[in-house]
Amino acid sequence: MRRNNLLRSIIVGIVLVWAAVQIYPTIKVAQLQKEANIYSEQLQTLSNLDSDEIRAGLNAGDLPARLEKAIEDETKLQDAYALAEKAALLHDDIVKEENHAIKRGLDLLGGTYLVYEVNLPQLTQNIAKKHDARLDSLLAKIEKQSGASESDYFNTFSNVFNEAGIRLSLYFGKRIQKNDEIIKELKEQAADAVNRTLEVLRNRVDQFGVSEPSITKQGDNRIIIELAGIKDVQRAKEIIGKTALLEFKLVKEPDVNMAILQDIDNALKAKLNRMDSQTKVDSGNDSTATRPAARKDKEVSVESLFGEGTTIGDDSATDSTVLVDEGLVKENPFLSLLTSFPGSRNSMGLPAKNLQAVKRIVNSPEILKAIPDNVKIHFSNAPMIIEEQEYYEMYFLKKKAEITGKYLEEANVSISSGSQSFNQGQPLVNLKFNTEGARIFSVVTGANVNKQLAIVLDGKVASAPNISGKIPGGSAQIEGSFTMEEAKDLAIVLRAGALPAPIHVIEERTVGPSLGQDSVHAGQFSLAVGIVLVIIFMAIYYKISGLIADVALLLNLFLILAALAFFHATLTLPGIAGIILTMGMAVDANVLIFERIREELATGKTVRAAIDAGYDRAFWTIFDANITTFLTALVLYQFGSGPVRGFAVTLSIGILASMFTAIVVTHLIFDAMNGKRSLSKLSI
Amino acid sequence: MQFIKKTNIDFVAKRRFALITSGVLILIGMVNLIIKGGPDYSIDFLGGTEIHVRFSNEVAVTEIRDALAKVGYASAEIKNFGNATDVLIRIEKQQEGSEVSDTIISTLKDDFSNNTPTMLSVESVGPKIGNELRTQSVWAVIFALLLILVYVWLRFEFVFGIGAIVALFHDVLFTLGIFSILGLEISLSVLAAFFTIVGYSLNDTIVVFDRIRENLRSRRRDDFFTVINVSINQSLSRTIITSLTTFFVVLVLYLNGGEVLHNFSFALLVGVIVGTYSSVFIATPVVAEWGYKQVQASVKSGKKRRK
Repeated sequence: MRRNNLLRSIIVGIVLVWAAVQIYPTIKVAQLQKEANIYSEQLQTLSNLDSDEIRAGLNAGDLPARLEKAIEDETKLQDAYALAEKAALLHDDIVKEENHAIKRGLDLLGGTYLVYEVNLPQLTQNIAKKHDARLDSLLAKIEKQSGASESDYFNTFSNVFNEAGIRLSLYFGKRIQKNDEIIKELKEQAADAVNRTLEVLRNRVDQFGVSEPSITKQGDNRIIIELAGIKDVQRAKEIIGKTALLEFKLVKEPDVNMAILQDIDNALKAKLNRMDSQTKVDSGNDSTATRPAARKDKEVSVESLFGEGTTIGDDSATDSTVLVDEGLVKENPFLSLLTSFPGSRNSMGLPAKNLQAVKRIVNSPEILKAIPDNVKIHFSNAPMIIEEQEYYEMYFLKKKAEITGKYLEEANVSISSGSQSFNQGQPLVNLKFNTEGARIFSVVTGANVNKQLAIVLDGKVASAPNISGKIPGGSAQIEGSFTMEEAKDLAIVLRAGALPAPIHVIEERTVGPSLGQDSVHAGQFSLAVGIVLVIIFMAIYYKISGLIADVALLLNLFLILAALAFFHATLTLPGIAGIILTMGMAVDANVLIFERIREELATGKTVRAAIDAGYDRAFWTIFDANITTFLTALVLYQFGSGPVRGFAVTLSIGILASMFTAIVVTHLIFDAMNGKRSLSKLSI
Repeated sequence: MQFIKKTNIDFVAKRRFALITSGVLILIGMVNLIIKGGPDYSIDFLGGTEIHVRFSNEVAVTEIRDALAKVGYASAEIKNFGNATDVLIRIEKQQEGSEVSDTIISTLKDDFSNNTPTMLSVESVGPKIGNELRTQSVWAVIFALLLILVYVWLRFEFVFGIGAIVALFHDVLFTLGIFSILGLEISLSVLAAFFTIVGYSLNDTIVVFDRIRENLRSRRRDDFFTVINVSINQSLSRTIITSLTTFFVVLVLYLNGGEVLHNFSFALLVGVIVGTYSSVFIATPVVAEWGYKQVQASVKSGKKRRK
């Protein structure tokens, strides 16, 4: 054979075998998955569990336990156990093979891609050793500046402090430390907090039973979570995003409350006088709502009460009127927003409508000054409904928490047997402290008998039970008006631990399972039709030679899939589009070669000479042309994320594979055809 | 079979006409773009939320608008998508960290509980990410163009690089203009399509350039314009065949790829046509126009040989 064709054949052979080995697991997984689906369906009919729960059980290995809970009939249960055992074995096989198979992207599987950002301003505020209005305003300024320019948060941080001429050591670190040192420490603390957040989120996500959840850190303070095949994304987001900071805080006594209320009222009155705003009460707007306490209510706009430009929130559509007690509004503007109702011992009630206004008032700088340093105002987490009206409660709590969720050992859900009649049958969350927590808790409860201890979750009061006596065992309960699911979710986040700082979603991309299915079908169909069209076209246009190019084309597809499996790359819908596009472009190399061969034949060369000249001359053209496309694909890969990246991957793999198949493989086939007896005519 | 036998079209003579036609078409697109105040960016770049909902029965857009107005999203853009049960809800430029999608989804679930809404897809991009993506895209484009310029410069002559870059600008601006006139959104995937157009057009251009380079060596007696004409004519058959096969598959993708890939494959569709046109009528004329002396001198002195 000429020109090392033996060596070339061996190389092509090796590549083909390699490709087959790479693709095999993907095919195997698809087959096993079909079998597994049959088991899953049988189990679903036996147990009423849905496919998600069964999968979660298989992932966690506790399917038999779940079945036991779900099935009462003994014979059915035995059947289910037998099925579950087989399903579990199959599941192990699938998991093993999946590691070598082509991964499908979230846009095909359905699932969600979430980017969270750790709230650095809040984190630094938490770290600060001293809190005052000046720090708050500085931090707000930093947040604003770093948000706009996206420059490193801590650079802005030190700049702002330098500009203001304030030593960092006033608020952070030790007194003798220099600014640089403190910044360095803060950075370390922030990095540590992000890592802890990562850990906590991992624990939380593990509870979902999603197979292969991916949680990765991006940059300094971002975390990317990918959950394939998850159905209830909202619930997942609630569980992931909850800070879950649990605090137990003592409620202030009634006399203290009254004094504080009086101070707030005076401060507010002074503020209103300064603003020289008249309290224009719109008398034509008489409210006839039922009210729990004897008071005369008025619906007035917030502007008329507290001056222009004081709409609540940033949304104009929000109802910006509040309910005030007409008899009180002049003398006690703050009290007029509140109400009292039976059952609230040390808390103040307020109509749900007034919540935003009240929050705004108590958080304004003038009013904050009127509140004692060791007191913090909290509100209840959910409204109470009395006579069809919604009310929130406001609590004055001791600023320092007596004990926090840090000491928690266990949290689980049970049904209340009902200490109070309205709680009966309600789900509640049982807490168990560790040894140290139990000791602290027993001291706190022992020292504060007959006082109220508020259970504060993420700054909101879940409940504020009365301490009837010392609790030595280290257990407590959160009662509140949650549904069973909310209680379960709360237990999950409490078990996994609190986040060191709040996080929020800055990017979300969710694809529902049905759209994912649609995309798979659309992709497969387009790919099939596209390939068939190209194959037919080539066969018609270049006859036998076209068929040779078609072989190369199919081989190319085969190699792309093998490479995807080899790199364990993710196949996305744009990725499939990339393959389809490659199918159209891959024949280019053969077109170039064939056109050259035709030209050479036209000059009167023999078939063999024409073929060789065609390949030789077209090679550099093909090389140059493909390299530039490859370069743009590389840039796209560098810059793109998720699905777009998938496109760049398949496109670049496709280009490389097409150069191999279109140049090496087709040339070999031509040579083989042209082997012993030279062809006198070429079908091209 | 052969569509194109031997052609002998004088492409170089038509270069002015082609340049002017393209220039005018691009100008129309760009004027439209400027009047509009820039491209219709998708929420990928603007920041915002886009929710694609499927209801079990037909639903009136006004009902959804009322429901969303109650929770403060009166400004949401709401329209049917595909068929009467599918609705697209779009809110631009949201605040960082505001959980817009959650509010909307729970409102829909509460208010339309008897017409079960299923979320087909939810995309939410904070303003920070939007800004970042915009900056990144600009850099990626600049970087890609530089890379191409350098490669073509190294492999050919500088003027070929210029010709290639001009053709690429032509293709992208043309497609951008069409997107602007038709009011189609520029999303991340459309941007990816633009990159692909660049890659494809370049591929096409290089093939013609390669032929020119080869003919400049083998046909030393012919003048520059003749060499260019011969080269384009020689590679014309290949140009058309490859464009056809690529066009087929992209068309299939456009017709069957579903909503997700709609704008993406449309951009490719336009790009394949424009990219093919530009390699013949833009890239090569630019070389003919500006590279005449330079190329002839350096090639004939044998400075650049095949590598």
